[in-house]
Amino acid sequence: MSEELRLSPIETRGVAGKKRYAMVVDTRRCIGCMACQVACKAEYDTPLGVNRTWVPYKVVGKYPNVKKHFLPRLCNHCDDPPCVRNCPVEATFKVEDGGFVLQRYERCIGCRSCMAACPYNARFMLPSHRTYTPITNVVDKCTFCFHRVTQNLVPACVQTCIGRSRVFGDLNDPNSEVSYLVARNATQVLRPEEGTKPYVFYIGADRNTTEFGRDAYLRPEVMELERSAFKNHFKI
Amino acid sequence: MGDYVWFHDVSWHATYAIYFFVIGILAGLSFLSYGSWRTPALRPLREKAAYGSLVMLAIGGILLIADLSQPLRFLYVFNPAYLNLSSPLAWGALNIVAFGVCSILYILALRKGDEAKGRLFATVTALLALGLPVYTGYDLTVHQSRPVWNTPIMPVLFVALAITSGSAVGSLLAGANVEAQKVLRQYMLWSAGAVAVILVSIMGTTNYGGSASELTFMIMTTGTMGILFVGVGFLAGSVAPAVMLYAPMGKSQSVLVISALLILAGSAALRYVILMAPQEVQTLY
Repeated sequence: MSEELRLSPIETRGVAGKKRYAMVVDTRRCIGCMACQVACKAEYDTPLGVNRTWVPYKVVGKYPNVKKHFLPRLCNHCDDPPCVRNCPVEATFKVEDGGFVLQRYERCIGCRSCMAACPYNARFMLPSHRTYTPITNVVDKCTFCFHRVTQNLVPACVQTCIGRSRVFGDLNDPNSEVSYLVARNATQVLRPEEGTKPYVFYIGADRNTTEFGRDAYLRPEVMELERSAFKNHFKI
Repeated sequence: MGDYVWFHDVSWHATYAIYFFVIGILAGLSFLSYGSWRTPALRPLREKAAYGSLVMLAIGGILLIADLSQPLRFLYVFNPAYLNLSSPLAWGALNIVAFGVCSILYILALRKGDEAKGRLFATVTALLALGLPVYTGYDLTVHQSRPVWNTPIMPVLFVALAITSGSAVGSLLAGANVEAQKVLRQYMLWSAGAVAVILVSIMGTTNYGGSASELTFMIMTTGTMGILFVGVGFLAGSVAPAVMLYAPMGKSQSVLVISALLILAGSAALRYVILMAPQEVQTLY
């Protein structure tokens, strides 16, 4: 017996006449090609060292029985987004019809409270120098490709996904592929305990990737060494 | 292991910790200036504390604005069309400005020697000053995904830290004034004790939390953060001054000075670790 989930008043899912876009990431189909990351970079000219979407992975098991678990990540376009609550100047806002959580660059004061509020690390600060755009020194994030979706296109990462791991659509449309996938598969969201009501659903995600990694248990000094080595890649 | 971990950046850097420290002293000094109207022993501190809190406000304001990546847009917070009252930062900005205005009016009343207005503005300024550590604590509390920050006791801790650090600065300003030092000793003793108790309760809760809390506890109690938090903040900055001030020797001038300096160093270290450690864990998610 299936029963619709109880919804809180803030949610736009199931509201008649409104769209509620969502992404389903079928991790069983993700091959870790990072094409989504590249497509996103190309779409937005996202600078070096920051990403709107990224694909971390974990190697699990013991040789010779090892496997890589990928977990494509992006903004979860939450129904109860803490970033929107925290922004002192409403530079970040939720579009009621569609559920997009977007950013007004011209209004952002750069206090980074939205970054601190986001449990998913989906937000980042744009650097002070960029080649093709004057948008600098403000917080940026994934927009679910708002400009493409409003032109009846799918987001760039979905368009390019070679394994059809990423599926995008309107969850309020019962005939959409995302509705079908969410209805027919066991899905999970990241950090549900935070109460953000995220709209990126994962199929087959492994807890090695959805939880804090074991690397976090390294001594802070060792972690700092790894962090500085990682950051060195982005020095130009 | 071949794992691919994306190391994210912390949102709020050490500038914020300095700002919290400055705001704490500012609020504490404002309490003392108000206290001088009720406790005659603190009378010599009235003007010094009022001027000191205004200087601290200037420093804190500059730090806060300089930390923005778009500093000149700080005025947007005062634009009613932009203001988002669900954000503690918005309330904080309004509180700071209101405090600044009242503080100037208070100093003007003091300079004119107007007792009635002085008493009135002292009360209003102290109430607004109370809002400053409350808002900074609340600013951290609202982040539901951050262990340690997301505890309702955080504003209380920041108020207690404001009283300790303000009293410590007051004690250094009071010099050899025995009557004032007697009162300030009591303030420092009980507020340092309160800070120690709150810290034990926060760390106990954190240690019994989920995986993020467990990791935050590890970061806060080991390595450099551990030295700063447990060593400088808890032991040297809260427990030691409370014990020294409680002991019979606690009334001597040298012990008061040492305790005040330890409290200041400890409260700075505590604010740094409380700000940074919960962010360290988040950068790994």
